[in-house]
Amino acid sequence: MTSHSRTHEDEFRAGRELSLDHRKLGMWLFLASEVMFFGGLIGTFLHYKATIPSPESAELDTILVGINTFVLITSSLMVVLGLDAIQRGNRRGLATFLGLTALLGAVFLGGQVYEFVSLYRHGITLTSSVFGSSFFTLTGFHGLHVLIGVVWAALTLGKVLRGAYSAQDHVGVEVFGLYWHFVDIVWIVLFTIIYLI
Amino acid sequence: MTSSSSPSTYGASRARQHLLVFAALAVITAIEIAMTQASIAASLANALFLAFSLAKATLVAAFFMHLRDDSRIYTAIFLLPVVLVLAFSTLMLMSAGGH
Repeated sequence: MTSHSRTHEDEFRAGRELSLDHRKLGMWLFLASEVMFFGGLIGTFLHYKATIPSPESAELDTILVGINTFVLITSSLMVVLGLDAIQRGNRRGLATFLGLTALLGAVFLGGQVYEFVSLYRHGITLTSSVFGSSFFTLTGFHGLHVLIGVVWAALTLGKVLRGAYSAQDHVGVEVFGLYWHFVDIVWIVLFTIIYLI
Repeated sequence: MTSSSSPSTYGASRARQHLLVFAALAVITAIEIAMTQASIAASLANALFLAFSLAKATLVAAFFMHLRDDSRIYTAIFLLPVVLVLAFSTLMLMSAGGH
């Protein structure tokens, strides 16, 4: 019994020696599952793109979406600058950068809604063709992730304004940042395979 | 962080590093958009677009998500499904090309 307890104790100590924060580990495992989720959608889009070339893709506005890409990249910068700020104990700086993150995320979503409406006016809908189905499914799910990120940024901002987080305790901000940057990476890939190639 | 640098100095240098990464991301995105307006051979353009995309994703993961400094276990957790998805997509596209 004693030796059994010692084994568990040793295993627990070994886990702690890895210096892994359970909140960050949980988020990375979640992001790994998200890679598989978006990987399936991206694989489907690429398959249809290779087998059923669509003239509808000519209706995509690369300039508008390029600007939207720039907006999302800028929002990622805001998140890391916010994290840099709280690591120096600057809670006001964190609040400002989180507010800008939420704002830029909302601007991105506005651009996506504008694009969706424009495509619908050109007759490209979720059910009009294979291209429409795969395009709206892929970009729609990404947009949903951005929306969740905007809400999360707003909730985190609310906590900051109530005095949460400090130079010693900011893992919550870091975990939110991991999610937001992942959504940014997914968009970088989507921008390439949908609009550029 | 080195033992000789204060937290504020370290934070400032880290913020500068993040600004440099952002500048690189912005420049690459601008080049990509400019390339769509130029007449470049599709095969060359596509290869460049894929390389740019990989570079941008790597910069975000390494610097903004701190994989460069953090535990290698996080990197392994993140890269394993990426490798699987790439392998799956490649096999699927090869299969689609064969038909």
